[in-house]
Amino acid sequence: MHEYLISGLAVASELDLPGAIPSCAHNKRPDVTIRRGTVPAILESADASGPNWEMAGEKFLLRVPRLARFLIAQGQEIVVELEADAKERDATGFVLGTSFGILLHQRGALVLHGAAVASDGRAIAICGMSGTGKSTLAAALCRKGCSFAADDICVIGLNGQGEPIVQSDGRQLKLWHEAITELNLRERRGEAVRDTFQKYYIQPFDRIAEPPKLSAIYVLRDSHQAMQAGIESLALADAMRILEYQYYRPRVRAKMATKSEMLLQGAAVFGHAKVFLLNRPRGFEHMEETVAALRKHWGALGR
Amino acid sequence: MTAPAGIIWLASFPRSGNTWFRILLANLAAGDSGPADINKLGNAIASDRDEFEAVTLLDSGLMSGDDIDRLRPRVYERIAAEATEQHWIKAHDAYTLTPEGEPMFGRYAARAAVYLVRDPRDVAISLAYHFGTTIDDAIEFINRPDGTLADWRTGLPVQLRQKLHGWSGHVTSWLDQTHVPVHTLRYEELVADPVAGFSAALRFAEKPATEAEIERAVRNADFTELQRQEGEMGFAEGYVLRTAPFFRSGRAGGWRDKLTAEQIARIEEINAPVMQRLGYELSLIPRSAAANDQRIAPVRAESVGSPDPSASAV
Repeated sequence: MHEYLISGLAVASELDLPGAIPSCAHNKRPDVTIRRGTVPAILESADASGPNWEMAGEKFLLRVPRLARFLIAQGQEIVVELEADAKERDATGFVLGTSFGILLHQRGALVLHGAAVASDGRAIAICGMSGTGKSTLAAALCRKGCSFAADDICVIGLNGQGEPIVQSDGRQLKLWHEAITELNLRERRGEAVRDTFQKYYIQPFDRIAEPPKLSAIYVLRDSHQAMQAGIESLALADAMRILEYQYYRPRVRAKMATKSEMLLQGAAVFGHAKVFLLNRPRGFEHMEETVAALRKHWGALGR
Repeated sequence: MTAPAGIIWLASFPRSGNTWFRILLANLAAGDSGPADINKLGNAIASDRDEFEAVTLLDSGLMSGDDIDRLRPRVYERIAAEATEQHWIKAHDAYTLTPEGEPMFGRYAARAAVYLVRDPRDVAISLAYHFGTTIDDAIEFINRPDGTLADWRTGLPVQLRQKLHGWSGHVTSWLDQTHVPVHTLRYEELVADPVAGFSAALRFAEKPATEAEIERAVRNADFTELQRQEGEMGFAEGYVLRTAPFFRSGRAGGWRDKLTAEQIARIEEINAPVMQRLGYELSLIPRSAAANDQRIAPVRAESVGSPDPSASAV
């Protein structure tokens, strides 16, 4: 068995999960088990479905054509069945990604689709659409001394005082070749995320020790002539509306959580953390100025 | 009376009037509150990575272009099944089949397609400005049967890979497929008589609009208005490396004084049959006659542009 600590959960896995950082420190019963096994082709009497997934009660079936089927159950278990000729190694990205994200939704966690970094015990989350450069910006911040907290799946929990905190995802940051080159991180480049893909795991940066408090969520956007680069504050109503889209796989989340659960989670975030739009010009040549502007803005936020 | 719900593909090779047509649609919707803001067009595009991930829940960065294409029919069927109104969705992909032989756009997903086509000699010039490349690179690109958009593999483009099949391959892929009824609209006709061209496309899509509404939309989407807005506010969808405004000239036939004889010959040599089929008159300059006009061999451009051609409208 491989043991990991992912997003605050003790995980025992039959599958080696490259990119997840082994953690044997916990002597408790695992919160989540991951194993190979038989998975049905389809879930009957589904409450909700998509072209390659069905949800029925506490079970969720995910299909990646020609690769594997994943059964995610009760927020406690992920069962993986490979399709013919598929390699286990290729399926692991979908275990740590979508499958684990769905499992967290089953547990009622508040999961952002984004990266998070911390400094002085305070964290920020960086959200945005796929391909906008969330992980790259997180890596650039870590190069400037921030600690790494999460990439892609960012779980917001609550501490004893009811304040939002960021759980470490217990994984390595993933970056594309281009970002690795531009950020001069070749020495940290680890294995490819998937064979023949030029996306790689990055050897760990400093990681957060204790879950830091969340002070802000920045939603990344490309700026252009029509929109000045800079950081925009949002009125609460706009912040709530925009945050709805920053949850991990928001349409599924909306089907899995009740309205009042979502409202309570939102209230916990907005009670302590603000949401900002981070409009920045695209391109690595602007990275330094974006990092500097972001650090300055973040530093000026009250504790 | 409302338009029947479902998907209408607004398909074209890049730089063939697709964005202008979308602006016409936006102005039709805006009615008397127009002109519509060119920076708020809405950006429904078939190759939208975020939409793919939202529907399939999968991390597309972990999937090959072919595996993504295998699921795209399911995504469009889903959008079509859930549609409560008419969705015009832009597409630059050629009409291709998945490795298993299924139409990538889904066999029954769309109600219809409007296919915009433009003289490839003008497309070459427009592409060169748009991507900030040479005209020779642009010609190489439109002549490539395996040309693509957003196919770089060292980073994650905002859009999914789009196979183009070159200008001729693109045109024939859409016009010769038999799954989706297609209305062909030549960019040159749309420029010459926007009201007639736009009206015919709307009629084909069964989208009701009065003549007065169409005329107003055309007035509000006039090229000078687009240039005015771009000049004042910029155009968010413009590609970052472009060397001229997105709404540059909008003319038809500019190639006559912008391309060399050799360049014209290179385009016509590859694309003559399809150009003739679409009514684009060939200048028939034999390549040998253009030989004294040789210039530096074009750089091979597998998927033009970096860092991210997919982030922009083309």
